[in-house]
Amino acid sequence: MSQIARALAISRKDIESYYGKPPLVTWGLLFPAVLILAVYIKDRAGYLAVAPGIIGMTLLFGNTSMAAIVITFEKRTGTLERLLLAPLSARTIVLGKALSAAVYGIATSLVLTLGFVVFLDMPLARPGVFTAGLVLGAGIFSFLGIVASVLVKEVFEAMTLMNFFRFPLLFASGVFVPVAGMPWWIKPVAYLSPLTHVVELLRIGVQGESSLGPVWVPASIAIFFLLVAGVVTVPSFRRCATR
Amino acid sequence: MRQADQETQVAVRVRDLNKSYGTLVALDGVSFDVSKARVFAYLGPNGAGKTTTINILCGLLERDGGEVSILGRDVARDPVFVKSRIGVVTENSNLYPELHCRRNLEYLGELYGLSGAERRNRAEELLCGFELTEKADAPFGSLSRGMKRRLTIGASLVHRPEVLFLDEPTTGLDVPSAKALRRLVRKIVDDGTTVLLTTHNLFEAEELAYDVAVLVGGRIVARGSVDEIKRRVGGARSVAVRFSGTFQEDALTSACPAVKSAKPQDGYWRLDVVDLHEALGQLIAFCRQRGCRIEDVGSKEPTLEDAFVSLLAGAARPDGRNGP
Repeated sequence: MSQIARALAISRKDIESYYGKPPLVTWGLLFPAVLILAVYIKDRAGYLAVAPGIIGMTLLFGNTSMAAIVITFEKRTGTLERLLLAPLSARTIVLGKALSAAVYGIATSLVLTLGFVVFLDMPLARPGVFTAGLVLGAGIFSFLGIVASVLVKEVFEAMTLMNFFRFPLLFASGVFVPVAGMPWWIKPVAYLSPLTHVVELLRIGVQGESSLGPVWVPASIAIFFLLVAGVVTVPSFRRCATR
Repeated sequence: MRQADQETQVAVRVRDLNKSYGTLVALDGVSFDVSKARVFAYLGPNGAGKTTTINILCGLLERDGGEVSILGRDVARDPVFVKSRIGVVTENSNLYPELHCRRNLEYLGELYGLSGAERRNRAEELLCGFELTEKADAPFGSLSRGMKRRLTIGASLVHRPEVLFLDEPTTGLDVPSAKALRRLVRKIVDDGTTVLLTTHNLFEAEELAYDVAVLVGGRIVARGSVDEIKRRVGGARSVAVRFSGTFQEDALTSACPAVKSAKPQDGYWRLDVVDLHEALGQLIAFCRQRGCRIEDVGSKEPTLEDAFVSLLAGAARPDGRNGP
């Protein structure tokens, strides 16, 4: 059986054990739904400006948190050792773990989006671009969660470590304010943030237009971030797993 | 036996293995061979470096120096090959608590590349072999400690490994469960699997193992068959003697130089003697001199535990000499 089939087996098992549990699903849905409803009630016309940002934020928090929680939990129970003792390459384990976290992030975001489309009449001008934004965002943030989890021992340490970059990213990535409307000195930071480009893809998917140029610009940069995140995660995992 | 033939009989080969954690030297030039289809006991006190060795052999830890080969391959260079041929039972029963027993076995079968039918059959075979068929659909987390241990060992055999690492397999088990597990280990070895056993239970090591290595402070202080190790500690024997009269310990040990120590216990004197023949002669002479008689006498071979304690004491001495 190929290493890819084994990565899929890891993903299936993780979805069965962790991601399919009702508390996690509701956690992933309730927080962003309530946030968007609050904005919608305040400004029925203007909520569309922040909806893609909140979906992007859901991906960022959901995927980084879940990937990190699952790995630190398995470290604690000793079950991660089972994977390290099996004939699996570090790439296979990372792929399996990232895939299950990404599936969780994409599934919750899709349910959320469907809710907005049905109940709030949210348009989906370019559904293909929207889906690409979800997939790329879920991949990048899952890898980031794995990197954080291998650097620490406890779940709370992983959360603390990730909050150092997650909250600044929220501020500087066009989640609540489009990049075009940001002060000049924040813009370079915004362009270096993967969240900016993921949110931009979601925004194009919803509204059909972007302030960052044609769709291939944020798409290419998001793909670049995904590849870099994958390349960084595998050796980090290998080094931390065998030290 | 030619060297090439000997090579094919070796399942695990370790040469001059070194590992340090900062300034702490965990392993210092460790070397040993484990023969195929035998139980090799790797013994040592806490912190001796046993788990570090096992973790390096399994590919969980990088070594600083030395050579390690399992079935002729280096785990650092060829981890997927080596890991597909070894099974590991860690000190803790670390299967997935939320998955039921059958699913745990089938999932591990998937990770080891077994096809769907193969892993279903193997899971049933192992559940039956380890007497857990009734618990097949119970979550692993709900099992008793003994059942968890059995399933953990079963899980390590899913892919029919050629070498099995057992780290403290009977820790925390009651006597019947521990006995049943030892029976299982013997069966696994009879089926051709090589077992590397680390344990604090020296009775268990003596009962199961043919070859032994004793590790103290990151160094091997003794290596050989169980009988060789026992002989190497100087042939000290424990003798129980009941005399008709009473006397002080000093009187006995000064009159009998072959008796190294003497302790009264339950109406008997427990004596540690180096040379049984000489000691008995001295004891008879002592009785004649005191006007008493030897009413009962029993002798016990040194156990692996006696040898182990003696080796630890020897390692602590500045001259490193073993024996009483």
